[in-house]
Amino acid sequence: MQDRPDATDLLEAVEDFLRTQSAAASERWMRFQLLVAANTLGIVRRELLHEDEFVRKEWSGLDRLLGAEPLPDAAGDLRAAARRRNELLCERIRAGVFDAPEAEAALVAHLLETVTDQVRITSPAAL
Amino acid sequence: MSQAPSSDPVGAIVAAVRQGVGDAEAPVSGARLLAGGAMHDSWAATLGPPGRQRDVVVRMSPPGRDDATRARMEFAALEAMHSRGLLVPEPLYVGENEIGQTFMVMTRVPGDSNPRQLLTNPAFAGARAVLIGQLAEQLARVHMVSPADVSVPLRTPHEDEDCLLFDCDRQEEEYRAVALNAYPTVVWALRKVRRLAEQLPPRTRPLHVVYGDFRVGNLMYDEHGLTSMLDWEGVHVGEAEDDLTWFCTRVWRFNRPDLEAGGIAHREEWIQAYEKASGRTIDRRRFALWEVLGNVRWALVTMRQAKQHLDRTVPSHELAAIGRRTADTELEILRLLGQEEGSHAG
Repeated sequence: MQDRPDATDLLEAVEDFLRTQSAAASERWMRFQLLVAANTLGIVRRELLHEDEFVRKEWSGLDRLLGAEPLPDAAGDLRAAARRRNELLCERIRAGVFDAPEAEAALVAHLLETVTDQVRITSPAAL
Repeated sequence: MSQAPSSDPVGAIVAAVRQGVGDAEAPVSGARLLAGGAMHDSWAATLGPPGRQRDVVVRMSPPGRDDATRARMEFAALEAMHSRGLLVPEPLYVGENEIGQTFMVMTRVPGDSNPRQLLTNPAFAGARAVLIGQLAEQLARVHMVSPADVSVPLRTPHEDEDCLLFDCDRQEEEYRAVALNAYPTVVWALRKVRRLAEQLPPRTRPLHVVYGDFRVGNLMYDEHGLTSMLDWEGVHVGEAEDDLTWFCTRVWRFNRPDLEAGGIAHREEWIQAYEKASGRTIDRRRFALWEVLGNVRWALVTMRQAKQHLDRTVPSHELAAIGRRTADTELEILRLLGQEEGSHAG
């Protein structure tokens, strides 16, 4: 276990630094690049905080749409397996499995929940 | 972002302007970079002897990007629009230089192009007040141009195919080329739009020229309003709703997401301004499906940018960051299709 400041503390510190530099930059291009860099660190920080919880939620949602499957143990396996299941979900969407109103409503509820969680990481201000 | 391979970029611009006017000794001065982009760089220069000077823009693409065909389409579209008195730069020349860079020379139109300033700066409140009417009038005139009025063939839907379905085909193809992992929202949205489009009454208006990248970031303006419309390389043949909705795509509203039409006006206000200017009725359901497709198109742009970074075609933290923002657009797609569903139920 690492001592504090931990990864999120460090990211937050650099993020603040970049944001301050951005505000002080005189050139529009540099101001923008620094702001993008600061925002990117914000994404990384929020991903570290929430990704584990969100992937597990997404997994339960996929269980409801595709049938239950045991959760892999390791985090890396979980992400790879979630990607594979999303490929399967796309195949089933294309095959018309979710065209009927009830199935579609269940699909859309899952998509909305998953995408909202993704936006909580990428750009929470947009919610 | 792109680097001209020439060690003397200013010399290359001077040579390009001279080639453009067909005079190897034409006086060219003041060449400077206006904006660098992933696809091309724009340079300003002044042509002509003192007293008879003319400001021009040279847009230079790096070799190997293979957009010579698109540059010629853009040039031909600008010729057609300029000859009709529309607010576009006058196109002067399109061609390739000795090292294979495609370039275009056009007149430089005065004005600003920063969209955020246009949407928020009090100095441009007057411009904002008249802009929607001006844009509707200009766009209505763009849409009166028929494919036969443009000197080169433009991208056109297959005969008898609905433009919406043709766009779905194109986007599915692009998805297969750029998606790095599965995006069930995008896959579902394309299927849903296709199914809803099949229920619409067939269109009656003949196909016409479509701007292809009509958005607030491509406008030049001053405190009185519109001065010019730039970047026509997406020009194609299709239907008006394509342009009308791309202008409303969430990403182009900048810090005014509440004003759906480019961050300047409400969606309905924009549609009505266009209807008044064109004398055509816009089918709101067709418009709604095009707006979904516009957002899908942007989602695909973010995927392509992520891919360009990850496969090192264009390594850039900016592309990586934009690439990570696909979910923002997927959320907009789900919101729009949710509203569409509600309007059908009602």
